[in-house]
Amino acid sequence: MTPGNENGYFVETSGLSRAYRVGPATVQALAGVDLQVRRGEFLAVLGVSGSGKSTLLHLLGGLDTPTGGSVRVDRRDLAGLNAYQRAIYRRTTVGFVFQSYYLVPSLTAEENVALALTFQGTVGAERSHRAAEAIARVGLERRAGHRPSQLSGGEQQRVAIARAIVHRPPLLLADEPTGNLDSATAAEVVSLLDTVHRELGATVVVVTHDEEIVRHAADRMVYLRDGQLVGEGGGRS
Amino acid sequence: MRTWKIALLALNGLRRSPLRVTLTALGVAIACGALVSMVAFALGLQRQIETPMRLLALLNDIHVSPKEGERAKNAPILDDEAIDRLAQLPGVSAAYPNIRLRGIKIRRGDHTENCVAVAIPREAQMLGVAEEFLLAGRFLNEGHAPEAILGAPLLHALGFTSPQAAIGQTLILEASGLLADMAKSFTFQRKELSVTVVGVYDLPMIVPGPIRPGLLLPVDLMKQVPGAYFESALTRLKAGGDASMAGYGSVTVHVREPADLDRVEKQIKALGFQTSTTLSHFNEMRVFFIFLEVFLAAVGTVALVVAGLGIVNTLLMAVLERYQEIGICKAIGASQGDLVVLFLTEAGFIGLLGGLGGLLLGRIVSYGLEVAVGIYAGHQGATAPPHVFAFPLWLLGGTLLFAVVVSVVAGVYPALLAARVDPIRALRRG
Repeated sequence: MTPGNENGYFVETSGLSRAYRVGPATVQALAGVDLQVRRGEFLAVLGVSGSGKSTLLHLLGGLDTPTGGSVRVDRRDLAGLNAYQRAIYRRTTVGFVFQSYYLVPSLTAEENVALALTFQGTVGAERSHRAAEAIARVGLERRAGHRPSQLSGGEQQRVAIARAIVHRPPLLLADEPTGNLDSATAAEVVSLLDTVHRELGATVVVVTHDEEIVRHAADRMVYLRDGQLVGEGGGRS
Repeated sequence: MRTWKIALLALNGLRRSPLRVTLTALGVAIACGALVSMVAFALGLQRQIETPMRLLALLNDIHVSPKEGERAKNAPILDDEAIDRLAQLPGVSAAYPNIRLRGIKIRRGDHTENCVAVAIPREAQMLGVAEEFLLAGRFLNEGHAPEAILGAPLLHALGFTSPQAAIGQTLILEASGLLADMAKSFTFQRKELSVTVVGVYDLPMIVPGPIRPGLLLPVDLMKQVPGAYFESALTRLKAGGDASMAGYGSVTVHVREPADLDRVEKQIKALGFQTSTTLSHFNEMRVFFIFLEVFLAAVGTVALVVAGLGIVNTLLMAVLERYQEIGICKAIGASQGDLVVLFLTEAGFIGLLGGLGGLLLGRIVSYGLEVAVGIYAGHQGATAPPHVFAFPLWLLGGTLLFAVVVSVVAGVYPALLAARVDPIRALRRG
């Protein structure tokens, strides 16, 4: 793990734990994770399926609350936020990209992107302008009026990335963003994430099981196994 | 603005299952249609009864009559002198005898028809009787000209093709009746009068009795008609009094303001007469109609509540179907409140759609009923009132609002369920 000044980290977890009750059993998805991410850093979290990667991402994104330890993002302790404050946090600070894209099927690509702006209260011409700009940034101007079912997997993920960055969040979280894509398209998507990271200066955390695909984009890689950080390596090789 | 935008998203949600939304809205429409048409029916009935009271300015009237039974023997007589005294009371604008005689024969050339003659004061217009009461012509002139106002149902029988055609025409009235004399007996009298038609009146169909096909004559003229005093004389005689001193059976005292009713009524009672007011009957009737309207509205409300359960069902289905989408919305920043707004708007929109449909349905059904009843009544040789249902704006607006409110209330549970969706669970479902 990269040591650093506490005030210099944009994301910082300390002893972060998350346990789930499954019937009579308790599953420890995360067990005491200490992680620091610098502002503007591209971090890849690597691990096999069930290692706790997605749980970590959900906790960083304020979708879930820890059962132990703390998460601080931009000096704000997420554990202390109520449901409404977490919604505001997600709305203003976080952009999510998921493996399954999770686009609303009845909306066009541009409408899907604009949906995020609606919840932020951006309306009217500015909403349309910003949605179009985000769509252009991911190179889908010609597909803006298409519904998800009319787009390829790679295009859908691009729309999902546009939706995640349309409000210019300082923290971009991607959960297996290439998991459903062929290798060529996956490389394009990672490249797009890298471009967005550089152009917008956002802090990016990508969780994936595919080290090769993120090696060239990530500033740093950490390894998660059985809910614990087990190692770290450099990226951009 | 942000809330409005989120509310607009609800329309997108509704677009996705048009059949289900349409069927649910149809349930609301049927309930609203039933509600609005039932209340409209009660209101229509009320209007049919109240309109003539308003047209004839009856609410300012006090009905005065001599005391009856044992008390009648030495009770004051309601004669012209008593009427003058009543007219002098403060707040009273007119007092006139109620004379109504059946069996008056009207002749016009070869046409004859029997009718009821009713006495009205020559100053009827000044007493607040509405202009809409007249189909043609005018009210009676002051003075002593033998004028009459003809009931519209008599036009055809007397050979008039329109209300206007009757104006200025002369009618011959044949009246016969009994006249009381000093010997406590009655003598038969027959008389012919010539009158000029100066106006034609009509009243709503629901007005009971023979008033609609009647002939309105000035009080001074009616006093000359044989039989004008017969009824009161007989009453007086039965009570052991002198029939020749009978006076009138009843008198109408018209006050300038309804606020004067109580005071004037007390003064009249103090003079030894008994009284009743149209307003008191009117108020009793109003209570009945309020009860009827509330009862019918309650029946309609039950239907609307059942339709509300349909909305609950539809929205619960929507929450289940869009479970993952709710998770997405939460992930990209929707708060619980946003999702509540989203689903309540969907519910409200179904209510609005159903409410508008219900108003249309109610109007169509009531129109169909009016036409059907009119045809049936025609076959039975009767004439049905043209508009039994009344649709005031407040009823239309109120029903629409009520439909939306019931629908929004029905949407509360599904909306709360949507708000409580765990985003992680929802996203994992994909």
